[in-house]
Amino acid sequence: MAVRTPGLSAEFLPAVRDGAGLQQALDLGYRQVLLERGSLLALVGQLAGAARRGIAVFVNLDGVEGLAPDSAALAFVATDLGFSGVLSVKPHVLRDASRFRMRTIQRIHALDSTGLETGLKSMASPAPLAIAVAPALTLRQVVGAIRQVTSAPIWGTGFVTTPDHVREVLAAGAEVVSSSRPEVWKEFRPS
Amino acid sequence: MALRQSPTPVRPLSVDRSVARLCEAFDRVPVAAVIRRAEDLPRALASQVPAVFFVRAPAFHLGPLVWAVQARGKMAFVHIDLIAGLGKDRAGVSFLAREIGVNGIITSHGSLVAAAKSDRVITVQRLLLHDDLGLPSALAALERARPDIIEVLPGVIFPAVVSELRARVTAPLLVGGFITQAAEMRGALEAGARAVTTSTLSLWP
Repeated sequence: MAVRTPGLSAEFLPAVRDGAGLQQALDLGYRQVLLERGSLLALVGQLAGAARRGIAVFVNLDGVEGLAPDSAALAFVATDLGFSGVLSVKPHVLRDASRFRMRTIQRIHALDSTGLETGLKSMASPAPLAIAVAPALTLRQVVGAIRQVTSAPIWGTGFVTTPDHVREVLAAGAEVVSSSRPEVWKEFRPS
Repeated sequence: MALRQSPTPVRPLSVDRSVARLCEAFDRVPVAAVIRRAEDLPRALASQVPAVFFVRAPAFHLGPLVWAVQARGKMAFVHIDLIAGLGKDRAGVSFLAREIGVNGIITSHGSLVAAAKSDRVITVQRLLLHDDLGLPSALAALERARPDIIEVLPGVIFPAVVSELRARVTAPLLVGGFITQAAEMRGALEAGARAVTTSTLSLWP
């Protein structure tokens, strides 16, 4: 059951919400994007086109309006759209996604210690490819608790609004950092 | 089961006056104790915090805990989204308000804020900051629901959103979420929080 879609090739991942953002990221030379928030129409339009041209597209299923969190939606995202992977806080969504041979990234909302504990107790099975911590700037405070339950790579996403934030999140232990700000994309554009 | 058998608790103060009273108390002691485990409650009762936030408490054993808080002259708030055994709906809110007699409820959902208003309890709506692209819709939801108090989480993001938040809403702002050190508490207060909410016992004065 080899995954045939492209994976990540760099540690910085532009978070886009529509076709215009996608185009901006592609113009900067990126070959990978995350749809963090958006609508089904953005998915089926330019993002699907990019995926067909070999761009690694990851989608946060919790942030897409118009798509149900069920297996029909995942079959569509995996088979028809050819996206590389999905993010969700919901373990059952990731379980379904792994059935369609998609890369799965477990989102953890790091908002307070109570919520973090709950999130870490309900990790997806089979084990996700990576853990995405949101907001990313909490990573320094939560990385210890995460490392007690999993050694999976950590992504940082959400409220990364300056290049310094990116460096801070990487220094805290993230392997991948995502930002929605084009001025940050410019700083980390592939050479 | 520890249910109060007496008539519905009487609320001599209007909700607005209760909020004003709580804010005055926060001006003296700007901390609310978040109770994650029942064994932490005695420490909160003995502290000077003016308010106690119950998260993840079991609904049908909550009464004595809430009344112990109120007997110390503190206000008791219950996080309805996380409470076991209670519907996250208008009837669930009414149970907390009328049967238990909580001073306020905490929720992330605007619909529950609306339900709680008809029960005359203080409403604390949580603003969950996990994703900057979701901020506009989260702020719009706060404007629609008009809670009495807003709790912003996590603390590390609060300084980045406080000016936009202040431009949109007038409710007092509490800040919580990974506030485990005195420096983090000071940072939130200096950035404009009325008080912090924390489960770290050493920060309860």
